[in-house]
Amino acid sequence: MPGLEHYLILSGLLFCIGLAGAVIKRSAIVILMCIEIMLTGVNIAMVAFSRFITPVELTGQIFTVFIIVVAAAEIAIGLAIILALYRNRNTIDTQKIDLLKW
Amino acid sequence: MGILSITIFLPAAGALLLSVLPGKNARIPRAVALAVTFLTLVLSCVLFASYDRSLGGFQFVDALSWIPAINSSYHVGLDGLSLSLVTLTSLLAVIAVLASRHITSQPKAFFAWLLLLQSCIIGVFSSLDLLLFFIFWELEVVPLYFLISTWGSNRKERSAIKYVLYTLFGSAFMLAGIVALYFTTGTFSLPELYNTDFAMLANGIPLAAMFFLLLAGFAVKLPIFPFHTWLPDTYSDAPTAGSIMLAGALSKMGGYGIARICLGLFPDTAASFSSLFMGLAVVNIIYGGAIALRQKEIKRIIAYSSFSHMGFVLLGIFSLNEIGLTGAALQMVSHGLIIGLLFAGAAILVKRTGTSRIDEMGGLARQMPVLCGLVFVAAIGAMGVPSSSGFVAEVSVYLGAFSASAEAAKIITIISLVGILLAASYMLNMVMKVFFGPVRESFASLPDIGSVEKLYLGVLATGIFTVGLYPQLITTVLKPAIKGLAVLWGG
Amino acid sequence: MNWMYILPEIIIAASALAIIIADLISRKPVIITTIAIVGIAASLIAACTSTVTFEPVFDGMLFIDGWSRLLKVLLLVVAGSVVIASTDYHARLKHSWAEFHALVLFSLLGMMLMPSAGNLISAFIAIEITSISFFVMVGMLKTPLSSEASLKMMLTGGIAAAVMLYGMAFIFGSTGSTSLAEIALSSQPDFSSGLLLGALLLLAGLLFEAGAVPFHMWLPDAYEGAPTPVTMYLSAGSKLAGIAVIARVFSMGLNNPGGLGADWGMAVAVISALTMTLGNVLALQQSNIKRLLAYSGIVHTGYMLIAVATIGLGGQVSGDEKLFFYMASFALAEIAVFTAVIVITRQIGSDRIEDLAGLARRSPLLFAIMSIGIFSLMGLPLTAGFMAKLFIFTSAVDNGLLWLMIIAVLNTVISAYYYLRIIRVMWLGKPSDGSALSLPKAPGLISIFSALGILLLGIAPYLLLKLAENIIFIP
Repeated sequence: MPGLEHYLILSGLLFCIGLAGAVIKRSAIVILMCIEIMLTGVNIAMVAFSRFITPVELTGQIFTVFIIVVAAAEIAIGLAIILALYRNRNTIDTQKIDLLKW
Repeated sequence: MGILSITIFLPAAGALLLSVLPGKNARIPRAVALAVTFLTLVLSCVLFASYDRSLGGFQFVDALSWIPAINSSYHVGLDGLSLSLVTLTSLLAVIAVLASRHITSQPKAFFAWLLLLQSCIIGVFSSLDLLLFFIFWELEVVPLYFLISTWGSNRKERSAIKYVLYTLFGSAFMLAGIVALYFTTGTFSLPELYNTDFAMLANGIPLAAMFFLLLAGFAVKLPIFPFHTWLPDTYSDAPTAGSIMLAGALSKMGGYGIARICLGLFPDTAASFSSLFMGLAVVNIIYGGAIALRQKEIKRIIAYSSFSHMGFVLLGIFSLNEIGLTGAALQMVSHGLIIGLLFAGAAILVKRTGTSRIDEMGGLARQMPVLCGLVFVAAIGAMGVPSSSGFVAEVSVYLGAFSASAEAAKIITIISLVGILLAASYMLNMVMKVFFGPVRESFASLPDIGSVEKLYLGVLATGIFTVGLYPQLITTVLKPAIKGLAVLWGG
Repeated sequence: MNWMYILPEIIIAASALAIIIADLISRKPVIITTIAIVGIAASLIAACTSTVTFEPVFDGMLFIDGWSRLLKVLLLVVAGSVVIASTDYHARLKHSWAEFHALVLFSLLGMMLMPSAGNLISAFIAIEITSISFFVMVGMLKTPLSSEASLKMMLTGGIAAAVMLYGMAFIFGSTGSTSLAEIALSSQPDFSSGLLLGALLLLAGLLFEAGAVPFHMWLPDAYEGAPTPVTMYLSAGSKLAGIAVIARVFSMGLNNPGGLGADWGMAVAVISALTMTLGNVLALQQSNIKRLLAYSGIVHTGYMLIAVATIGLGGQVSGDEKLFFYMASFALAEIAVFTAVIVITRQIGSDRIEDLAGLARRSPLLFAIMSIGIFSLMGLPLTAGFMAKLFIFTSAVDNGLLWLMIIAVLNTVISAYYYLRIIRVMWLGKPSDGSALSLPKAPGLISIFSALGILLLGIAPYLLLKLAENIIFIP
């Protein structure tokens, strides 16, 4: 039976993979995907905590629903921003987008 | 709203009035500034005369509750020490306005800043609440910055910024000390702090730490070696009025602060470090004098001479006895008069001859005998020749330092006697090179000083002699204040 | 009924929707601005006259008390100033005028909910409403600079949000609840390491909105690329709301001076020291006024975090009114400076500091306003900024943070250098074009009022301090 710690390890792995990707990757869309991976890790942790610690109140699940909704909104806006940027600069490579420096 | 508060804020009100005056003419702002500073001088003299010498203590007190949350109030008052310095400041302000008659660009702003500066300085001397003290202390930076960077000479912007940063740096530490003091005692009020017995208070901050934090701001202002590096540039690049106020009044804020706050609140710490500071004072005197000897530009000579004389103030203060402290206070007043005369005279010389180097001047006694005579009076004062105020001040300082209970006091005093020699050297050197020596053709047609200049330079010269021959004028006012301080170390 | 307690927020939401509908009907910009201002004014009245003192709303999701009321009023004033100041920016925003105003109101809604949060979920939602609205507002100019700023803000914000949520997950896991009140109960006196980890992650994520190290990287770029009214909004609005939510979440939920409070309080103190110093060092090299103001804002975040740290270490609620005073004085200074910058940069067409040269001659009034604002940011006596710093310093020493106070004081001196440089350029510089600058009425009025407010609070800070104390104090 998978216990709480298994879920937490999974969520931790997902979070770290996402974080590493968000910091390392160059394409803006891939960074957005990595942020989504991080949020997935968070969701798993939330649900796991809720299932094992407060199985009656479903607080974690409710929180997860909120997170999914907000993440969707964020992605929508994010893609719109990337689109606007692409129209201006013809690239989504974050290394090449460097008009604003120190 | 007592007469003291009026004295403090009248110049600021004048500055406000000036800022809303229309027109670009120079005559009206000058007249307004002269009127305001003269009125302030009258008020200061009234205060001086009506100070009750037998009563002593802080008089003319005004207290208004201001920020009860942190126990700070608008609390002003004067005792003998601050009263003399306030009167000096008011006199120098009038002189500064008179000496700035040639300012033609943006005169309104110039005189407005000058008046604001005067308010801040008088405010510093009158504050009996540490927070108020700090606020006035910080505020004077703004008008001086604008005065130097706009109407100064040479590398005025750089000197102005240097001055601001040095002062703010010192006052940053001072603020830390003030807040630490507040944390320990719960009040900002000076009279209350005087009555607090520090040994009884449990605190996590050692007294010596607070002493040095507070001293930092004053050390930059006086200045004390090695925090003096802003002085030569700022004093010589400032406009005449700026130099007069800087050297004459602002540096006294440093000495006043040390005496009033550091010594008054932490007498034991002061006693244990008195040898250190007496030693630093000697460095001031000798180092300043030696460098002054090597200078070729007249304003820099005067600047270093001022630095050197502030060493006497420090020496007198840290001798921790009545004579020494009286000497220090006298030196502050006397030096204000002397340096005012020197800077004003130097400004006239620089303007007339077109050069500021003393080896390019010469023989000017022929063309400008009156100026020569008046500057010579100042030189006498700076050298400490008997009958000048410099003499009484320096003699008192030496007597006090010699009888100080600090270790090595006697040796230090003997070493500092070299200062007299140095002062004589650079002053005579300056006067000789400028006024005597071969007459130059290029100066043949230079006019002597006009009647206005004769007036204000003459007033200063008279002051130098008056205090020199009749020091009781000031010492009767000083006595109760100094006595109060000296008691802290058993007289 | 519970709805009355959030009347101000309801009014704002309704106004935002009204703007969107109005835009479908008519394209006149005046109507949009009017609806926005009327909505803000109505909400302001509702917030000021509300008699609620201490009330959990919606089963503990929101918590209306003095702190949230004060911040609501402050944020409403800031938003109103932004709307008025942006009337001067019309030329560059006219293609999305209605969207801009709607977003201003939506983000205001989020910001008003932030200090009222009573539950981790509502805090998260409020933060995201604000952030996402700002992502769009920053990119509204559609220029390459603007889009790039928006992208950077969004990516950083997304990562910060994820970190924050992970922290919330751990807090939830350690205490079994997301309600701040219940978390408070389980966090004393000994706490699990999971709770500590969660608290630190949460703090890290919340620092994004406030703009502190290490999540400060987006600030300068966003400030430079965004339309200047948005920059003003970011600086005086979202930054303050971010700090307010940190204060709220941590003082309500995780406050325990002996245990957890000491840990995160010390962490905040260290972050504050780093933020102040880093912000100052980077500000010294700036030549763009908006970017310099961004870094100066980062430094001020550091100062405000000192107050937050004292909440953790000392646990006294009375630290709150000093924090509020600082926020109010900072907001006033930013309003004064940014409004002046909007007016000036529109007329000289450049953001660079050198182009501000000779402003004193071209428009003495603007010069006076800018100088008062900058002096307040610098902390010169007689301005509200000095009093604010003084209060924070005294409360820092009261809570044993003397070392932090000395660092803060030294940073004040360093910051004086670049603030004075601006004033020096404005006063002494020779303008390339000596024509006078005009000051349009509406932005002019608010900037003059802010400058006067700065001077008033500088001389009589007690007015605001006592008011705040009375409102925050729970009898």
